[in-house]
Amino acid sequence: MAPEDVARLAVGAMRGHPLRSFLSMLGIAIGIAAVMLLTSIGEGARRFMVGELTQFGTSMLAVNPGKTETVGIPGVFGGTTQKLSVDDAEAIARLPGVLRVAPVAMGQARVESGGRGRSVFVYGATADLPEVLKFRIGRGEFLPPGDPRRATSVAVLGPRLKQELFGERNPLGAFVRVADSRLRVIGVMEPKGQFLGIDLDDSVYVSLATAMQLFNLDELMEIDVLFSHEGLTAGVAEAVRRLLTERHGGREDFTITTQTAMLEVFGNVMDVVTLAVGGIGAISLLVGAIGVLTMMWIAVNERRSEIGLMRAVGATPGQVERLFLVEAVVLTAVGGALGIALGLGIAGLLRLLVPGMPVHTPLGFTLAALGVSAATGLAAGIAPARRAAGLDPVEALRAE
Amino acid sequence: MTAVDLLATAFGAVRGHRVRTGLSLLGVAIGVAAVLVLTALGEGARRYVEGQFSALGSNLLALLPGKNETTGAFPGVGGVPNDLTLDDARALSRLPQVRLLAPIVVGNETVSHRERSRQVSVMGATPELLEVRELAVRLGRFLPVEDPKRGSPVIVLGVDLAGELFPGQNPVGRVVRVGDWRMRVVGVLESRGTQLGMDMDDVALVPVATAMQLFNRSSLFRVLIQTHAYAELDATCEKALEVITERHGEEDVTCITQDSVVSSLSSILRVLTLAVAGIAAISLSVAGIGIMNLMLVSVSERTAEVGLLKAVGAARRQILALFLAEAVLLATGGGLFGLGVGATAVGVIAYLYPAFPVAIPGWALAAALGLAIAVGALFGVLPARRAARLEPAVALAGR
Repeated sequence: MAPEDVARLAVGAMRGHPLRSFLSMLGIAIGIAAVMLLTSIGEGARRFMVGELTQFGTSMLAVNPGKTETVGIPGVFGGTTQKLSVDDAEAIARLPGVLRVAPVAMGQARVESGGRGRSVFVYGATADLPEVLKFRIGRGEFLPPGDPRRATSVAVLGPRLKQELFGERNPLGAFVRVADSRLRVIGVMEPKGQFLGIDLDDSVYVSLATAMQLFNLDELMEIDVLFSHEGLTAGVAEAVRRLLTERHGGREDFTITTQTAMLEVFGNVMDVVTLAVGGIGAISLLVGAIGVLTMMWIAVNERRSEIGLMRAVGATPGQVERLFLVEAVVLTAVGGALGIALGLGIAGLLRLLVPGMPVHTPLGFTLAALGVSAATGLAAGIAPARRAAGLDPVEALRAE
Repeated sequence: MTAVDLLATAFGAVRGHRVRTGLSLLGVAIGVAAVLVLTALGEGARRYVEGQFSALGSNLLALLPGKNETTGAFPGVGGVPNDLTLDDARALSRLPQVRLLAPIVVGNETVSHRERSRQVSVMGATPELLEVRELAVRLGRFLPVEDPKRGSPVIVLGVDLAGELFPGQNPVGRVVRVGDWRMRVVGVLESRGTQLGMDMDDVALVPVATAMQLFNRSSLFRVLIQTHAYAELDATCEKALEVITERHGEEDVTCITQDSVVSSLSSILRVLTLAVAGIAAISLSVAGIGIMNLMLVSVSERTAEVGLLKAVGAARRQILALFLAEAVLLATGGGLFGLGVGATAVGVIAYLYPAFPVAIPGWALAAALGLAIAVGALFGVLPARRAARLEPAVALAGR
């Protein structure tokens, strides 16, 4: 039998029971659509996370005080005896490949101006911070360059804080009170949005020494290091590690986090989540496949005499088997195509209705979905097709 | 036709075709089992988290230095202009609602004995911590009762830390180095496992004043307060904030009740469980389509039978009921089968991971079975109506 004959026979058989075929396809379509939609949401979430992380650039690493083998989050849980100091930051800046270094100290305080106040994060920083973290200045200027050990009485506001304190008024030149210091506003940052849920725009930047005095700190919270390109990550991280270990008397009491390592960890986590959710969606596909199996089984029973006739006029068991297999595959492939359309439609609708929702369907997913649905047909069709091929022609002809 | 007749006829029809009946049952069973296993996992995660929190001690609230109105920010990160001091803690302990109060300072330091050393979390605490965090002492005793401002150089080791530094020996009475300090070991904690990501077996506890000197801190990391009754948590939070506001001149601390943390986590997990179970439930609708398809085949195969029934006077409604009963029977059978499979799978998980409290919540059991039956009824309607509408004469003639 020529392939086109096989296909024509299969399609003809499906046409004979349009409702039945449609329902079988629908089952597969729902399964494929569920898998596609869920993995699309997972992929969208992954891209969103990668975007969040790479907003600071990929050729960057952060050093935090404290090295723990027991507690998960370094630096967050209070003190260590070996401090990260401004000297450490300056030493790192002299390493080859390092472009800029931004030492950061941090605290929380109430910022007040003209009777309005708000409790926010206060970052003690140096002039290089915007370049290292890819922050941009909206208005005025950032903290002036100079000795990081000298306190200055100027402040740069995040846009959200500026809005809360000054509304539409121009804050440049005005004074704000941070804790007990009076600082002159010299700039406003450009909106940066949120990072992992924390509003970065709701903050104030003061000089490093000011923050350390204000909060009575004797150590840095973080040193951010910018280097010339991503390829240097491992080398710079190793150089920083060796330098600081040496400076801290042979003890590695700090933690280095590179952007690439973070990306890898998050990427892996999101991949696992996507896989799990897709797998749960695939249960529907499995049930759909069982539906196809059932219907093919019934079809074989109903068409016994037809099979007998085919065998009588010389069709081999292999040809009969192929006939039913092709029918199953066509059924699921069409169902899969239907499911892809359904999945893409719902994904598009989601994007339209929930603009913040990250949904992304790579072309590869679509092709894979089509392949999976055809494979499903093969798997579901094999048992009925075998049964059809195994029928005794004489018995089959006599049926009914 | 009585209900018994109806069921018997439906049952007979279903039994006539073992393979296709079995496959349809399988479809529903997979859906039901998936819903059950996934809700059980979600419920297990929720119970696990709740268990972790209740292991921290009940009726607890925590005061953290610093206050932040930034959305999404966690309090307690970074420096603050006004310290939360031991004097603040003493003032708070005079509140009538406070049963126990435990000030804490936390830092990381290397604890060493001879050539063995280990970097761990060192927690500065007072004797009250023992009861507030529901810890127990395995060897020796806990931190001594003394003026919290006087830090004596004594240390209590977590059980893993003790094992690392003193393998096979009793560490009580020995001297360890913590950073540049020498401290005498007075006790070893009973194993407590990880609480909220902090391994309580791998910590060292020292008097709070000692820790403040060690880490050169003037502020406490937080103050844990245990109230007399659960109902007093929120009121105590308010009172505590008042006391601090009065002492500091502004409200610059954050009060977290354990309850608010647990309930928000718990509700997040519940929503996740529902979402995952909902995704799994999609497969039930696919199984329903399978049942519908099978019923359509069944109707067309039994056209002559339907004609005969009608000829001897069966009403439309009876035919409808007959086929509907068959569909519901299929769905119910599959649902029960799935219930068995799901319960077995959950049992296996519970056996393999005894620490993880998986359990099928009652509502999920009812919902999964109910949904399966509803799916059977819903998808059975179309084929049943098709059967009921058959013209008797045409049907009798057979197709």
